[in-house]
Amino acid sequence: METPAIAPPSWRPQRLGRVGQAWLAALGLLVALGVGAWIYELTQGLISTGMRDVVSWGLYIFTFAFFVGLSAGGLIVASAAEVFGIDSLKPLARIGVLSAAACVAIAAMTIIPDLGRPQRVYNLFLHPRWSSPLIWDVLIILVYFIFAVVDLGVMTSRGRSTAGRARTLRLLAYVGLPTAVLLHSITAWIFGLQISRPLWNTALMAPLFVTSAVLSGTALVTLVVLAANRFDRFELTRATRNSLCTLMAVTLAIDLFLVGSDYLTIIWGNVPRDRAALNLILPGGSWQWLFWLEWVVGGAIPFVLLVARRARGSIGAVTLASVLVLIGVYAFRIELVVGGMLKPLLHLPPGIALGTYHATQTSFQYEGIYHPTWVEYSIVAGLMALLAAIITLGYRWLRNRDQEAPAI
Amino acid sequence: MADTKPVKNWGMVIDQNRCIGCWTCAVGCKLINNEPDGFWWNRILTAAPGETTDESNDTDVAPASDSIDVPHGTFPNVEMAYLPVACQHCDDAPCVKVCPVGATFRRDDGAILIDYERCIGCRYCIAACPYGIRVFNWGDAEREPDFTVGYGKDYRTDGRLVFTPDRPVGVVEKCTLCVERIDVDEQPFCVEVCPVGARIFGDLDDKTSEVSALVTQDGATQLLPDLGTEPRIYYLPKQPPTGRD
Repeated sequence: METPAIAPPSWRPQRLGRVGQAWLAALGLLVALGVGAWIYELTQGLISTGMRDVVSWGLYIFTFAFFVGLSAGGLIVASAAEVFGIDSLKPLARIGVLSAAACVAIAAMTIIPDLGRPQRVYNLFLHPRWSSPLIWDVLIILVYFIFAVVDLGVMTSRGRSTAGRARTLRLLAYVGLPTAVLLHSITAWIFGLQISRPLWNTALMAPLFVTSAVLSGTALVTLVVLAANRFDRFELTRATRNSLCTLMAVTLAIDLFLVGSDYLTIIWGNVPRDRAALNLILPGGSWQWLFWLEWVVGGAIPFVLLVARRARGSIGAVTLASVLVLIGVYAFRIELVVGGMLKPLLHLPPGIALGTYHATQTSFQYEGIYHPTWVEYSIVAGLMALLAAIITLGYRWLRNRDQEAPAI
Repeated sequence: MADTKPVKNWGMVIDQNRCIGCWTCAVGCKLINNEPDGFWWNRILTAAPGETTDESNDTDVAPASDSIDVPHGTFPNVEMAYLPVACQHCDDAPCVKVCPVGATFRRDDGAILIDYERCIGCRYCIAACPYGIRVFNWGDAEREPDFTVGYGKDYRTDGRLVFTPDRPVGVVEKCTLCVERIDVDEQPFCVEVCPVGARIFGDLDDKTSEVSALVTQDGATQLLPDLGTEPRIYYLPKQPPTGRD
């Protein structure tokens, strides 16, 4: 690799600046808030969340699926650069793999507060049932995390010939790309293989997850390198930025094409149970804000920003587009999980038992209602802050390591 | 216990022509199983005749209301049937396939049970169940009045805790087909308490039993049969009224 990834000659060792300190302090506070909320949840049980027996998966699961998606991007960007020889993306390899490792670790942590009995999580290893896509997911997450750490280790290792390292990295990339694709497919199959929920049981689920993973992961890497460029003089060439914009634009288009294709299949087929669930999300439905977030805020607007030449030239526009893309992908995760749960297949009065009871209120729910509580928001905010802190500190670690002895 | 006897092949038939929607089976279920407030292992849905038990007219008639006991359709073309729904004890149960730790399992006699001591509370089974019959212990169990009723003891099958009156927080539970009763040759409590004899329980392998006669001869159907889950709870769909004119 001829382009130094992270250490331009002008760089001097430095202490964390004011901005950096304030940033990490704010993240630390959020993490503390999340930990506090989790302790509260442990004492109360999941009754402290907004989930009940109708919408029985909520914010934790959307966020889990979202983090898994984010982790893809980095590794796919890094591996694709090697496998397909996209030189303009190669300087991002280490940041990509760093964000992949961080995101998948945080994704795994996101599941813990969702468990009713987190202290029994070892049963996943003592008594695995191999027919469960959840067990496949546990395994692939472990494999993927270990792989990302090994990949990062090789990238930052010292005392080896550049040629030797390049060969190892290329080899790892050929393993990494299919591993990343499998991670997203398996996470998709947790939902896609289920026959019991409208909107879930589509063979498009795995392609959709892989596409939206590359999309959101690329957006995250873009935001990280833009921040590194802004606050740390990380060298970001025009060619690299254009490649990132193109990658996002293309995956965004494919993503919306797949979602649209699913919509058409449901609308044209008009099977009542699927149609009823989709109508909640389409314009006019009670969850239509998801549609607008996905198709306009996180769809049409960032697409225009990413393809228009003038907008691409502006760092502000690219930053905005990346943020909007992340919002759109998150909206898709909500649409998927909640959309499948709002209207049960046996949608008949009085509905499904809630599992909780308040005097004067019915203990049944006919159509799902879900409002996350402060506990869920706090825990998710804490996890996001932890992710940002890991990426920030990881980036600094890479940087300092280069300073001591340039790795590439 | 079960291991000294030949394994049965339990099944139940619910006759919708007899069901009067009184909820006695649902309340009886709550009693015998000491279900906490807000828990209903067994519910009586208000449906249209044939709804969800017959592929041809699935959701043809939208419910007129989200309240119970309101007929479907527009006057004078109204119709109504009661659809009692608890665990269907499917032979190809989605909940068993998705449980990552094998806490939900199928016993040889067809009962689908949950090991209270192994469940990690991931709720994948709730997402996978097409019938919406699983209930999660979101918080500490509350009862009013606050004392234990019903069977009142732990029950284990093959060493696994499949019933306990004191519910552990954070695990999923559901209808057990009253294993603690059927293992000692009693009927499930919902069958026993039904005041109109709408529930018939027995061994599907015993060709002389009433339940196998009804299943094989009287065109009994299953709930959401197109999903291929093969429930062992059968329904005798409500027949149209005859002899009006």
